Amino acid sequence: MSGPLSNVRIIDLTDEKSIYGVKLLADLGADVVRPEPPTGDPLRDRGPFKGNQSLWHIFFGSSRRFVSIDLPTEQSLFHNLLTKADLIITGPEGFGVSETDFDVLQADNPELIVVDVRSFGREGPWKDYLAPDLVAGALGGAVATTGDADTPPLKNYGELNFMVSGAYAAIAGLAGLYVRREKGAGQVVDVSVHESIASCLEHVLMFYWYHDRMMREPVLPRRGSLHWSNAYVVFQAKDGGVMVTPTPDFDRQLAWLIEEGVQEDLIDPKYDLPEHLVERIMKTMDILKRWVATKEAEPLFLEAQQRHSPYGWVIPLAQMADNEQLRAREWFADTVTGAEPVKGPGAPYHFSETPWALGVYGDTHPLSEVMEDIGWEVRS
Amino acid sequence: MSRPLEGVRVLDFTHVLAGPFATRCLADMGADVVKINSIKRATGANDPLHPYYLMWNRNKRALALDMTHDEDRQLCERLCEQADIVIDNFSVGVLDRWGIGFEKVRQKNPRVIYIQMSGMGEGGPWSNFVTYAPTIHALSGLTYLTSVPGREDIGIGFSYNDHQAGLHAAVAILAALEARRSTGAGQHIDVSQFEVGVSFAGPSLMDLFANGRAAEPTANDLPYDDACPHNCYQGLPKGDGTLGERWIAIACMTDAHWQALKSVMGHPDWASRADFDSVAGRLEARAEIDSGIAVFTSDCEVYDLMARCQAAGVPAGVVQDGEDLNTRDPQLALYQFLHKIEDVSPLLGQTWADRLPIRFSQTPCDVYERTKAVGEDNVSVLGDWLGMDETAIRTAESKGRLQ
Repeated sequence: MSGPLSNVRIIDLTDEKSIYGVKLLADLGADVVRPEPPTGDPLRDRGPFKGNQSLWHIFFGSSRRFVSIDLPTEQSLFHNLLTKADLIITGPEGFGVSETDFDVLQADNPELIVVDVRSFGREGPWKDYLAPDLVAGALGGAVATTGDADTPPLKNYGELNFMVSGAYAAIAGLAGLYVRREKGAGQVVDVSVHESIASCLEHVLMFYWYHDRMMREPVLPRRGSLHWSNAYVVFQAKDGGVMVTPTPDFDRQLAWLIEEGVQEDLIDPKYDLPEHLVERIMKTMDILKRWVATKEAEPLFLEAQQRHSPYGWVIPLAQMADNEQLRAREWFADTVTGAEPVKGPGAPYHFSETPWALGVYGDTHPLSEVMEDIGWEVRS
Repeated sequence: MSRPLEGVRVLDFTHVLAGPFATRCLADMGADVVKINSIKRATGANDPLHPYYLMWNRNKRALALDMTHDEDRQLCERLCEQADIVIDNFSVGVLDRWGIGFEKVRQKNPRVIYIQMSGMGEGGPWSNFVTYAPTIHALSGLTYLTSVPGREDIGIGFSYNDHQAGLHAAVAILAALEARRSTGAGQHIDVSQFEVGVSFAGPSLMDLFANGRAAEPTANDLPYDDACPHNCYQGLPKGDGTLGERWIAIACMTDAHWQALKSVMGHPDWASRADFDSVAGRLEARAEIDSGIAVFTSDCEVYDLMARCQAAGVPAGVVQDGEDLNTRDPQLALYQFLHKIEDVSPLLGQTWADRLPIRFSQTPCDVYERTKAVGEDNVSVLGDWLGMDETAIRTAESKGRLQ
């Protein structure tokens, strides 16, 4: 059986802010067409490359059919394609968006769902602000929490902010589709990148709203890997970093330190009293830092996990290809291209009956030549 | 029209952040999410009095079940028969031990969509590993890559992957609901939070496999694409240590952005070099350019500078913190994105919520009900789902069950 979305037709008019959302839907089997100008999708210029082929585009543009359309010459053909979709996902810088009147489209097809992903929504003083991933992350609150006291605030690696708005775009499209299946009604669904980022900041809003109750400060400045709870941090082992934590069971961690003979005064009964909890955490972390420095990273991580302690080895990307867990689950997947297959990430979820799968990464064809092949007829 | 997912029944065994964030998303869109908790388990992040719990469990109904109690377990089995979705993020095997594993549930409820969000997924040598977001960040490469060159002790400053695992689970659930329309059947979905995290390095992993190049941390530079300047710069006011510092992000993605930035800076001599007109030239002198901009921004109030940059066509944004989002951000204020929840609980006090960042034109999601205490909705849930009457429920409670 094919993927769970095999009955869904999507037109992908996204820019960087939401292309990840279409990837999620396309890899779940939706029939996705991504139009681009005859000069090519500008996102094909994003690195890294294999030869002259953008690996960025192979990853984010997976499982789609690419068609070229010459606008405005082929406006009528483009409109014809758009009217046959179940779902269109757009962004302000997406192909053909400025030439398209989505109100007219929905008048022609009242069941159409349009997901419109913009940096700041449709209204407001910042609505036209330019916000690539770094700027979006700064305004959204993600950058302020990342980095250390001796570094500037840092963006997350790659385009993690736009992967959040992308994920919300996928949810928006699927929820819109659910309504359409139930009630036969389409609609416009707006997603704000800014709000998407602000909704995924873990402790940041909690600290501001509940700092009195938590007896903490309203804003926690950036402080390296030290978690807001003070109980998770990366320490340097002999050969790399290890994310260390005495949670969720301090006594279990203490027993391990006693086995190693490095418990110092942590066995003092005073540390069992609630008023000494913070002191206990600080003392434990101080001992752990010195103890970890005497260990090798991977064996320490594996031993901690055998003891059910949620340590994490800070794995460099170079070692990810050989990861034993990913290998055992046969996780990495090939994308079939016109040249050699390209290996990359596999499924983020595993469906027992309608499996995730990467489609062929094919060539671009003029829409005028392949409209029939696409086979999208207006559903009665 | 009502909210998009009204009528969808979700039985929610999740805890901490990743799982509850998935079900929060469904609940915000109108699904009937029944959060299972118990007095015994309501400690730490599972305690409805804990702010962490308040953040991720709004819009859900609260049912108390003590799974060590036979009659509560039997009730739970009946609830599973009524559910569209059963979801947990325990380590692998916990729900099986409670007698409500997927194979058992689907015998009586073949339409059930049963999603498990364990740290490592089912199978593999790490399958039983215990993980929280910092663990996943470390193992998936996110900690290594989000840093400055030469350091492994920075990483993402919040539990990014927990949020994303939740969003990906919501995608999977909605996709499985779509599939069920044609197949008539539910299915099992295995989400490995680790695999979700590794996915985010997608292009870099492809680069590793295709070219043998292993990505390294790049601080605020883009790992592959040419953009300069592309960094955060300190402005006014100065802080007390890191607290209260003000920074602005400036990202010149094109040569035109750079020309516009020069104009904002008043065309200083250091920026007028001809080789800076191309991004290649600017990248060669990246440190010099960063220094020059830092000198300029050091005398600028950051919100004012952001407005001037944006007016000139330069992508720039203040590095906002939680207080800024609540008190200075006009976009969030316009949409009332951050707001008090009207219903103040005598037990839980005043609570707040951020809105779902999705705005439906026909099925708006404007309901924000407060997080409920353990078992607060026992009567309404068991009445609606199983047709039980209040007297029977109160009797069970008086005997120490449903708590």
